Amino acid sequence: MRLNILAAALAASALLAGTVAHADQLADIKKKGELVVGVLGTDEPATFIDPKTRQIVGYEVDLANAIAKKIGVKTTLKQIAVAARIPELQQGHVDLVAAGLTHNKEREAQIDFSLTTFVTGQKAIVKKDSGIAEVSQLGGKKVLTIRGGTQEPNIRKAVPTADVVTFDTSQQAFQALQQGKGVGYVDDEAALLRSYAKLGPQKAQYVVLKQNLSTEALAIGIKKGETGLKAVVDDTLRELEKSGEAEKIFVKWYGPNTASGFQTRDFKFESDKID
Amino acid sequence: MPLFDYSLLLTGKYHDMLVAGLWLSLQLLAASLVCALPIALVVAMLRLSPLAPLRWLGFAYVESIRNIPLLAHMLFWYFGAPELLPEGVKQWLYAGHIEAYSAIVALSLYTAAFMAEDMRSGIRSIPAVQFEAGRALGFGWLATMRRVVLPQALRVTVPPLISQTLSLWKNTSIATVIGVAELMYQAGQVESATFRSFESFAFASAAYLTVSLAITALASWYHHRFPVRTL
Repeated sequence: MRLNILAAALAASALLAGTVAHADQLADIKKKGELVVGVLGTDEPATFIDPKTRQIVGYEVDLANAIAKKIGVKTTLKQIAVAARIPELQQGHVDLVAAGLTHNKEREAQIDFSLTTFVTGQKAIVKKDSGIAEVSQLGGKKVLTIRGGTQEPNIRKAVPTADVVTFDTSQQAFQALQQGKGVGYVDDEAALLRSYAKLGPQKAQYVVLKQNLSTEALAIGIKKGETGLKAVVDDTLRELEKSGEAEKIFVKWYGPNTASGFQTRDFKFESDKID
Repeated sequence: MPLFDYSLLLTGKYHDMLVAGLWLSLQLLAASLVCALPIALVVAMLRLSPLAPLRWLGFAYVESIRNIPLLAHMLFWYFGAPELLPEGVKQWLYAGHIEAYSAIVALSLYTAAFMAEDMRSGIRSIPAVQFEAGRALGFGWLATMRRVVLPQALRVTVPPLISQTLSLWKNTSIATVIGVAELMYQAGQVESATFRSFESFAFASAAYLTVSLAITALASWYHHRFPVRTL
């Protein structure tokens, strides 16, 4: 008798798990009236907390809002850690991840990606007195970077002999550079230029190496197999591109008048393929 | 839920990363243990010293270290303390494995505070008449400790010290915050490269468990082989 109850409970839970897994996420989002987007919130100007309003704002927030508007629901932002981005998405705690997420081949097995929303090069910054002028000269030297992203595998790929040391946050890694605990610091170009700008008068002691370590395509992460949701996200991005809104959002956060100081926008929202 | 992928753990570069992490964790354990034991012995003696200022010194060490989390110690010995060194020493140190050295300093000092307390208890468990007998034979304070009290006390202390070693082994994982490429660090690296969180942390957990059980087995073996002698 007891065994029967157990079997029934098992069957019921299997059934329940089955229905949850097969439900269409887009329909769920419409039903609950909110699009939950996972963001870092510490990654200026992609997503960061505005010191005045205490709200999370930024480039990726504007994109998330455009997607929510298209679906006809409100946006709910949820701050997540770099390493938690994929698990949170897979477990359904967030509907989308807009958190400086690099689209690469290894990750395609785990989740789906939207059209590329940002293209950035990863660069290295070094102390001027180290005499290093090229990325290849970092070989055999200690290089510092943030953990959990693509920075570390990329520097290892570009300079296999580099001694890479990583930290939980980019602030810690950058502080280690300033203390002289490594000769170079590697990060996405936008983030790197921002840290560089914060140095103030000390800037003269540092050099940003021209050469890119890699080209990174960032995209919005979508749970695997949610084709309906992916279609809405991609459509929204295409429309933003067509109306010229995408260009405006880029200039607002990354343009010549910002700390990032990008002169041009060298990419478009057009493809979800990567090399 | 994707299937458990054993191949990731058994061969290839991710396997190598995890094994390298385990090896470094074991090295941290060994180096910290070797440094912590003598410090602990000195601190325990300080706390039992007949001279009051020395006793206060021992007390200050134990309480100030024991009451601050290990994480704070790690960050201090990596980001803070070395900055106070002279420029030349600093550059020489920073060019080397400063991460691992800082971790060993933090782990040794932290573990020594706990071990010192265990040793002090061990010494106090030896009946006072033993000490008095030593003094009566004409030995000084230090000689009495060394020839009469400590040989008996350390035997009593070994099981709790092995238990502290177990804590030390698990505490090596904190070194990950200052960029030491130990086992937890490598598990995190494998996770961020592959998103196979379950596999990489299963490896780390199994490795911690195996070494911990080995240390526990050592404690129980010692307990049977060398039981505490009673008078």
